[in-house]
Amino acid sequence: MILLGYMSLSLSIVLVAVGLYGIIASKNVIRVLLSSEIILNASILFLFSVSLVLGLVYKPIIFSVFAIGMALTEVVVAFAAIILYYRQKGSLEVD
Amino acid sequence: MFLTSELLQLIIFGIFSVVSLIAAVYIINSKNVFYAAVSLAFLGIAIAVLIADLAPGSYSIYSAFHILLYVGATVVFLSISMVIFKDLYVKQERVTPSGIAAAVTAVALFLAFIFGLSSSSGTNVPPVSLQELATDLLTSFWFPAIVLVVALLTTLIEAITLARRD
Repeated sequence: MILLGYMSLSLSIVLVAVGLYGIIASKNVIRVLLSSEIILNASILFLFSVSLVLGLVYKPIIFSVFAIGMALTEVVVAFAAIILYYRQKGSLEVD
Repeated sequence: MFLTSELLQLIIFGIFSVVSLIAAVYIINSKNVFYAAVSLAFLGIAIAVLIADLAPGSYSIYSAFHILLYVGATVVFLSISMVIFKDLYVKQERVTPSGIAAAVTAVALFLAFIFGLSSSSGTNVPPVSLQELATDLLTSFWFPAIVLVVALLTTLIEAITLARRD
């Protein structure tokens, strides 16, 4: 079980790297938002991996529920900003 | 006969880690962001399965929540909302040092946490009790819960305002 924890920890770090690459390399605002969602998913997996190694049960579940709720809020706010940007510029590409 | 529960856990982990990596790479490489958003749903499902696979008796409650709230609400919202935009194709523009920056960050994170966790010997995770979870949530974390409710309410108001704007 501890091996599984370290393996998923490594996977989450790789996913963070993929998301970071997407944020830095892309100039499309929606793709930047989606890349940040990759990092969010990776960080939640990371939290559970570390909790498995440390033997925690309730704290990671509660923290992740709050994180997912705030992520929902963040996506809606970010999408509203993207819509306003699209109305002004007529494009989804960042200069 | 030879399939023990630990081996089954490892097989499931292998399959869904590959699925999550493919979905993540597709998100940052696809030329149409609508398909990238759909791929995010597969990533969310894969992450939920991986979390449940870590400790099925303890973390599977969160996996159900992840699929319901994240895949069912956030990803569907993202995918549906993209019909607003006329052109969903992206110009492929790559910044040269971005791959190096991502790799350096990954290596630094990996080393930091592997050394940080090297002293822990690992303990078995006990099965979750819904009653204890609810008690913990409503006694120790009542204030963040209220903040979350207010944030979701303001999001709802913002969405209505945005939808009614000409």
